[in-house]
Amino acid sequence: MTTDWKTEVDKCSKCGKCHTVCPVFLETGDESMVSRGRISLAEALRDKQIVYTDKLRDYVYSCKKCMRCRTVCPSGVDYEVIISAMLRGVAENMGVPLFPRIIFRYILPRRILFDIMLRVGSKIQRFIPGKKRGQMRHLPLLFMGKRWMPTLAKKSALKKLRKTKKLKNPRMRVGLFTGCLINYIYVDIAEAVVDVLNRMNIEVVVPQHQLCCGTPSSSMGDHKSSKKLADLNREVFESHKLDAIVTACATCTKTIKMDYLRTLGPSWQPMSDKIYDISEFIDKYCGDEYKTKPVDEKVTYHDPCHLLWVRGISDEPRNVLKKSSNFVEMDQAGACCGGGGIFTIIHYDLTLKMLERKVASIERSGADTVATNCPGCVMQIADGFAGKDSKIKTTHSIQILQKALVNGGVNKGDEE
Amino acid sequence: MKLFQKTKTEDSKHQRVLRELIKVVGREKVLSAIEDRICYSYDGTKQKALPDIVVRPDCTSDVSNTLKIANEYEIPIYARGAGTGLTGGAVPLMGGIIFDLKSMNRIIEICPGDFVATVEPGVVTKDLQDEIAKFDLFYPPDPSSAAFSTIGGNVAECAGGITGLKYGVTRDYILALEIVLPDGSVINTGRKTLRSVTGYDLTRLFIGSEGTLGVFTKITLKLIPKPKKIETLAAYFSDRDDAIDAADLIIDNNILPRTLEFMDKMTINAVRGYTGTDIGEDVEALLLIDLDGTEESISHEMPVVENACKESKALATKVAGTSKERETIWAARRSISPALYNIAPHKINEDICVPRSKIKEILQKVDQINEHRTIYISNFGHIGDGNIHVNIMYNDDPDQAELAESIVNKIMREVVAVGGTISGEHGIGNKKSQFMELEISPKELAIMKSFKNYFDPKEIMNPGKMFLS
Repeated sequence: MTTDWKTEVDKCSKCGKCHTVCPVFLETGDESMVSRGRISLAEALRDKQIVYTDKLRDYVYSCKKCMRCRTVCPSGVDYEVIISAMLRGVAENMGVPLFPRIIFRYILPRRILFDIMLRVGSKIQRFIPGKKRGQMRHLPLLFMGKRWMPTLAKKSALKKLRKTKKLKNPRMRVGLFTGCLINYIYVDIAEAVVDVLNRMNIEVVVPQHQLCCGTPSSSMGDHKSSKKLADLNREVFESHKLDAIVTACATCTKTIKMDYLRTLGPSWQPMSDKIYDISEFIDKYCGDEYKTKPVDEKVTYHDPCHLLWVRGISDEPRNVLKKSSNFVEMDQAGACCGGGGIFTIIHYDLTLKMLERKVASIERSGADTVATNCPGCVMQIADGFAGKDSKIKTTHSIQILQKALVNGGVNKGDEE
Repeated sequence: MKLFQKTKTEDSKHQRVLRELIKVVGREKVLSAIEDRICYSYDGTKQKALPDIVVRPDCTSDVSNTLKIANEYEIPIYARGAGTGLTGGAVPLMGGIIFDLKSMNRIIEICPGDFVATVEPGVVTKDLQDEIAKFDLFYPPDPSSAAFSTIGGNVAECAGGITGLKYGVTRDYILALEIVLPDGSVINTGRKTLRSVTGYDLTRLFIGSEGTLGVFTKITLKLIPKPKKIETLAAYFSDRDDAIDAADLIIDNNILPRTLEFMDKMTINAVRGYTGTDIGEDVEALLLIDLDGTEESISHEMPVVENACKESKALATKVAGTSKERETIWAARRSISPALYNIAPHKINEDICVPRSKIKEILQKVDQINEHRTIYISNFGHIGDGNIHVNIMYNDDPDQAELAESIVNKIMREVVAVGGTISGEHGIGNKKSQFMELEISPKELAIMKSFKNYFDPKEIMNPGKMFLS
């Protein structure tokens, strides 16, 4: 790691500007749940004035790691370095709970075990009563009552897309990094990505040995597991000759494009430069070349934190949606939906408050469908609507484009 | 930061206070874990001192009950808004209890017909401005921290901001206050009317009192109609004095710009290095001027302003009408803070204010004081008000810190000598207590201290601030 958190904390001038953007602080007004507060806690840890406690862990876990604060910080503090160090400190000093630890260390790096575990899960879920529009009360693995979670797919995206469709004269050859949520739950998003790109005469390879990007383990401070996953993924993607790598998950993009530069070092740069969010890729390389017939429904767009605030991508997904639907903007499109990993478990009440606001913004926009570029946000927002029996659909923006291409009669790409 | 080492008796007193507080205000509003105390130990000055207890009140009676206990046990107590002050106002120097008033953040009422609004102290200034804009109304005071500082803090420090020349500062918009005194009693000063001259003006005594006299729990503000349009002009000069002349000439033409901001050469260089703006190398000073009003008034005034700049030998001027164009011009002003930190890690941000006619003189004095350019000083600010931010930048070297302090000391003396004030808008806190006597005569200081003694005889309210002893 190039920047040392111990000196980075000193850069904070305590001005308080992070108050204006932190989605958690905007809900709580609690100084211990905003970057400035956590940075002062990091200082105290460095100076050995405090030790890791349950309370400190909760404050550390209250961070959504959306990195909004970093974009507004007048002193240029790289907050990510600091929060990562604190998460690692929590893991080292308090340990990673046994169950996630087993998953991070032994299951995530082995695709076959992960597959078996989730296949068992998908069998068991059949016996869980009370499903609504494909959502059900529990995700078998995380027992979070009250929540409407999507069901696990019968066949994972990797398996379904094992065979690369060879095109006659492809313009480009790209790899798809699926990410776990899309691989095991939202398989249709992966299929849409492949279908859309094929229709644009781009060949899509789905490397079969790819693994989890490592976000779940690093967000619980288990950087050892994350490093292992990064190494393995590097091997997989470097072994294929690809013009680009696309993902449909904002968080996976952030991790493999940005975080891997830290975990794997500067030698990752050439690969990092080739990694794109799917809408970013289409906007950049396919531009005006595709013909669509926009779908009738009104579609609005929710900005995933890791796309908007970490990478500054906001126009590209909108450009794609404007070409493929009756696009309407919502107010507060960049506000966090509240989803995301450990935060939703430890600070469930805050998650719900953020979700409520998001749902209200979407409703005000008058849209029939909300599209976004992150399966995590899809899951969270769909949960918000399932709970209230709303007619508004939640989807990935690539699926809207897919429909518009089908409408427009763009053929599926000539097979070799 | 030292952890609180207590004697046995102090420790048992502390426990008793904690128990009583929990009893009267409720367990969920009283925090005493070290993690929480650390998060309320600092403000925008980067100073730190640990409070023993954090109270997050919900209503006036929570504040009153807490103050009663603090007064009974003679425990220091501090009011904190967002902790963004620049003179240490919210730092709990002597330990004790700190109020986190962000938890009292309701907008109680907005009466568009009466031009008044009543709010709790924890409302963020910008949130209030956005809310009243829905009624086409305007609360002008606009400190650069408006998006994250609270109204309560703004009133306690009498915050200024960039609209001061035309619209005045916080004190010009406060009509009435609900205040809890150190003994827990609640008073209501002023009326919810646009004018009231009944009795002494206690409201003004409390505005800018920096939490040394009482705690605000409700604030009634005066509102005005929102200007229909804003237009921006940037004017570039090759000489600092030309820019100051231009500012004078604009005002001489009977035009009061909404903002009249100045940046000197050092500031421009810093911004140029940081953002790579298109400000030319020959530019040594610039003015950022916002005019507001109606379409007609601006179309009449803007040419006058532009001419005044040209007459004062401006190298170039640039008018921005759309909000996007305005944003580009203002980006330079907004990037000053990060740009300066790019040059040196430490900053002393002074907020001296002199009569407008003395601006040239005081800037020359600052140059002379830093004659050998041993340290980096950038001057910018609200030139229309004579309120200049003198930013002294220095690095980790202890010699530099000492040198910076001595430069500040000399500047303060010169400011008072030309008839200026040591603080235009940041307040005194503990950072500037040592300079109070330069500006305030012993007689007036004695009067101030007698007020303090009347309201807070046990000296529990924000000890260590404002006065030296």
